[in-house]
Amino acid sequence: MAAVDIEHGGHGGHDDAHGDPTAPYYKAKTGWKSWAYTLDHKRIAWLYLTAVALAFLAGGIFALLLRLELFSRGKTIVDAETYNRFFTLHGAIMVFLFIIPSVPGSFGNFFLPIMIGAKDVAFPRLNMLSFYVYVLGAIFALTSIVVGAVDTGWTFYTPYSVQTSTAVISMTFGVFVLGFSSILTGLNFLVTIHTMRAPGMTWGRLPLFVWGMYATAIMQVLATPVLAITLLLLIFERFFGAGIFDPKLGGDPVLFQHFFWFYSHPAVYIMIVPGMAIVSELISTFTRRQIFGKFAIAMSSVGLAILGFLVWGHHMFTAGMSEFSTMLFAALTMLVAIPSGVKVLNWTATMYKGEIRLVTPMLYSMGFIFLFSIGGLTGLFCGTLSVDIHIHDTYFVVAHFHYVMMGGTVMGFLGGLFYWWPKMTGKLYEEGLAKVSFALVFVGFNVTFLSQFIMGSRGMPRRYYDYLPQFEPLHKASTIGSWILASGLFLTAYILLKALISGKKAPPNPWGSAALEWQTATPVPLSNFAETPIVTRDPYDYHLASPEELYDGFPEDREKAAAKPKKAEEKAEKKAEKHEDKDDDE
Amino acid sequence: MSLEPTFQLPEQMSTSAANIDDLYYFIYWLSVVLFVGIIGAMIWFAWTYRARAGHKASPTPHNMVLEVAWTLAPLPILALLFHWGFQGYMDLSVAPANAEEIRVRAFQWGWDFEYKNGESDSSLHIPVGRPIKLVMSSNDVLHAFFVPGLRTKRDLVPGMYSSVWFQATKEGETDLFCAEYCGGKSKDQNGNELDPSQFKGHWAMLSKVHIESNDKYEAYLEGLGGNKPPEERGKALYEKKQCIGCHTVDGNKGVAPTWKGLWGRDETMADGTKVKVDENYIRESILEPNAKIVQGYASPSVMPTYKGTLKDKDIDAIIAYMKTLKE
Amino acid sequence: MSAKGGHPNFLQHHFDTPAQQFDASKLGMWVFIATEILMFGGLFVAYGIFRGNDAEVFFSAHQLLDKKMGALNTIVLLFSSLTAALAVRSAQVGKRQQTSLYLVITIACACIFLVVKYFEYTHKLHDGLLPGHCFGHPWFGDKCLDHGGPAQPLSVEGLPPRANMFFALYFAMTGLHGLHVVLGMSILVWVLIKNIKGHFSPEYFTHVDLGALYWHLVDLVWIYLFPLLYLVG
Repeated sequence: MAAVDIEHGGHGGHDDAHGDPTAPYYKAKTGWKSWAYTLDHKRIAWLYLTAVALAFLAGGIFALLLRLELFSRGKTIVDAETYNRFFTLHGAIMVFLFIIPSVPGSFGNFFLPIMIGAKDVAFPRLNMLSFYVYVLGAIFALTSIVVGAVDTGWTFYTPYSVQTSTAVISMTFGVFVLGFSSILTGLNFLVTIHTMRAPGMTWGRLPLFVWGMYATAIMQVLATPVLAITLLLLIFERFFGAGIFDPKLGGDPVLFQHFFWFYSHPAVYIMIVPGMAIVSELISTFTRRQIFGKFAIAMSSVGLAILGFLVWGHHMFTAGMSEFSTMLFAALTMLVAIPSGVKVLNWTATMYKGEIRLVTPMLYSMGFIFLFSIGGLTGLFCGTLSVDIHIHDTYFVVAHFHYVMMGGTVMGFLGGLFYWWPKMTGKLYEEGLAKVSFALVFVGFNVTFLSQFIMGSRGMPRRYYDYLPQFEPLHKASTIGSWILASGLFLTAYILLKALISGKKAPPNPWGSAALEWQTATPVPLSNFAETPIVTRDPYDYHLASPEELYDGFPEDREKAAAKPKKAEEKAEKKAEKHEDKDDDE
Repeated sequence: MSLEPTFQLPEQMSTSAANIDDLYYFIYWLSVVLFVGIIGAMIWFAWTYRARAGHKASPTPHNMVLEVAWTLAPLPILALLFHWGFQGYMDLSVAPANAEEIRVRAFQWGWDFEYKNGESDSSLHIPVGRPIKLVMSSNDVLHAFFVPGLRTKRDLVPGMYSSVWFQATKEGETDLFCAEYCGGKSKDQNGNELDPSQFKGHWAMLSKVHIESNDKYEAYLEGLGGNKPPEERGKALYEKKQCIGCHTVDGNKGVAPTWKGLWGRDETMADGTKVKVDENYIRESILEPNAKIVQGYASPSVMPTYKGTLKDKDIDAIIAYMKTLKE
Repeated sequence: MSAKGGHPNFLQHHFDTPAQQFDASKLGMWVFIATEILMFGGLFVAYGIFRGNDAEVFFSAHQLLDKKMGALNTIVLLFSSLTAALAVRSAQVGKRQQTSLYLVITIACACIFLVVKYFEYTHKLHDGLLPGHCFGHPWFGDKCLDHGGPAQPLSVEGLPPRANMFFALYFAMTGLHGLHVVLGMSILVWVLIKNIKGHFSPEYFTHVDLGALYWHLVDLVWIYLFPLLYLVG
């Protein structure tokens, strides 16, 4: 690393985050410009984290508002025109501005290079660009909201999305731009993993988080372009009356659904695979063990990526597809249950004979397994044809996807936040209070969404402003649950921000993890590692890790403790010498 | 056959419902067993292997047999679910040859059911114990026909026919919902809040399926058509086809021109021209509502077209009714 | 251009060796090309579906495309791909001026392509061969874009109004391709400027290589578009 020249012009394409490579990454350069124009993957991760947190807040507020409207029948707080916008914006913001960019943008950016022993991603400038493309997309979406918003549902089905007078074009163009951000991130990660692994970091030794990012990147790169063309065609249709989805002009409204879901089904795997990737890391660290069946879990991520492209029609079982297509999609959908099942079973098996610490990140991992199992099992109901006819477009489906997306990915995301906060900020959060926040989130979530399964199977359809009297008690329960959930999430934000500002200093490896990112200093230096690491073992092989690697205190304390026996040795030596002298004297 | 709703599912009111419910509960109990097993194990491990003094993690073993086993074991169960579900689906999709057809058209925001005798109504009546096939399409955007009690659902698409069939097993009334979001409003043209009973939208396409004995059903059909004078038919259509939703007949101005005294007068259009209200004007207004907008009313018009929904003799009947609404 | 302390000045600091940097850059461009193929792929699928539904109408409609102009554009693009490849070769052997010359010719061919496209499009506007509601309404006349308005597609020269679907796809596909021609051209202009400034050498000509690779993609898409739209119909 001594070859890092500070002279400008000596190296191609330099960035301003080029400061002292051994300084903490957030101190290497200061001033707002050093953040706004940064090329350092760790700072870009913070930019993304801030952005997606704000998006989560916005999407969450719309959720609270719509649930409040649904608390009682008839009008509760807003009229139907507004309510239609609330559920549309909740969906669009959560899917495109929060969940899809969340894990890759934040933890992916921060830790992927570190986990493979690299100094940065393959294309730091493209990384910065992907963030600003995200911001541009967000601006278009915000513009749409301000000039009247959209009331089509986040799925933008035609013909309604072509006919409605709401601001569809600015919103869909915003989503189109956001898609590019996703593609650029995926492209960057793919190339980084292929070409920048440190010596000894073989594919077999890659941490499962990296495998997850890899599978996600494949999907981002292959599926998102189809969303791009779908949205462009919708804009073309609205603006020019092109007729591709208009039956009066020879078009086919159901074609939109095929195009849309060809992206959006892989998109749901883009959403869940990163969450699963985090859980693998957490379970390994907090059971102090290699993940059981690591290879199978890695392959199951790739398996989901591939199979995910083949099942889009299961969102359209009642849309009027041919019986043959319907059958094909149903059969393939059943297969997609297997990789997810393998993961859940392997994680649980890892806990057997482990050394389990029930700290907040581990609670979130267990919460993930609990909630994702429910989400996945209810997927069986949805994928079974005759049953799906009954539950499609009801609250059963709403509950199912919230269990997997929120009970899955968001739980993984929150667990990752608590887990990696000490490494990212150099501060410790308050564990006791964090457990309380976990309990609120977990209980609140279940109250909100368990009631929705029952509503749905009893016949309560989706996207309804008003409903029949028999559904009112369950709606009330669901709304109350949303308040509990929200309080847990606000408490989480408080805990993490408090830790950031005034938390106790964190040692480099507070969890005593064997994984590579914990072998850097805390705070992480600009260049990630003092020297390029040479990897000699799998990141989860605790029995091969040295005590230094697993030490969970401060390096200074370790040196003091090492010095102590030395001092005692020296004392003993001196005593021995004295004795010898004495003997000589005698 | 469950005649009562269960905790999770509504009453079974069609011949297809029992099989679907059996499969539903099979998946349910399978899920419960798997869930309790896995989560039970997880919680037990979390307690038994919690970190404490003198308790160290053992290195993770490999167990290829176990892994292969639980990768392959789900396959037969999944195959069963697929097969059972597919059979049920085919049963729901392929109507018996002797099914009586009812033509369904959905629009923003209501239904039109056209029965075998050519008469239409906005509510669905079906006979018990006989197969009924619905041939469906939409007049505008996507809708979906959903009757939980019959366990049936299918999208209605503009420009395309879709169909469902069912055979009801007991008389009574059961809810009919639209299950594909199609917009909606709770305020009127002038921004005033509507009473919930006046809501128009996706959730307000709420209706009931009336399942009646064969005799009652036939009598109902008779009542729809019959040899009523055109003015009476027109009045019935005025109500059933939702004209009443926007046009008054008592002279009060609403979101649309009142029919009282409308016939034969000269109307002023938005662009200032005057048009005489005659048969052609009424016919055009019903089939192409945006062709001429009367001054003082919303443009583009919020009136849906009745092309395909009203036949020529329906339009004649409406005109006859209008002629009776003198000033 | 000389290396300092064994560290070439074009080597970005997060890479260990020039070979690693080049491999990464090349893989990145190939992945990007994959995304472009998928995006255009969606349009080709749509085309396939609609043509399958209405083969005769599509066949009649396609005859109104100017095959000569299309063929000219094809030759122009093929030639430009050749010159792009030659630019890469020139850069590889360090012939800076030759590289610039070939890049300029490639860019000029792109301009010719766009000019021909302009004439084709204006002909379509003139004849009312437009998508959707505007089919049969030359120069977007009769307020055919006004969604409250009455304009319906009309017949054109013996073609049924349903032929609007062919032209919707024609404009979508060639329009998107045209945008990519502009994009590819811009990339090549940028590469040309860097070349003139002397940034490249036989050890480092990544931009030329990848810029030309992207240009080949743009050409390839046209190679599929031309026969499909102009010849087969």
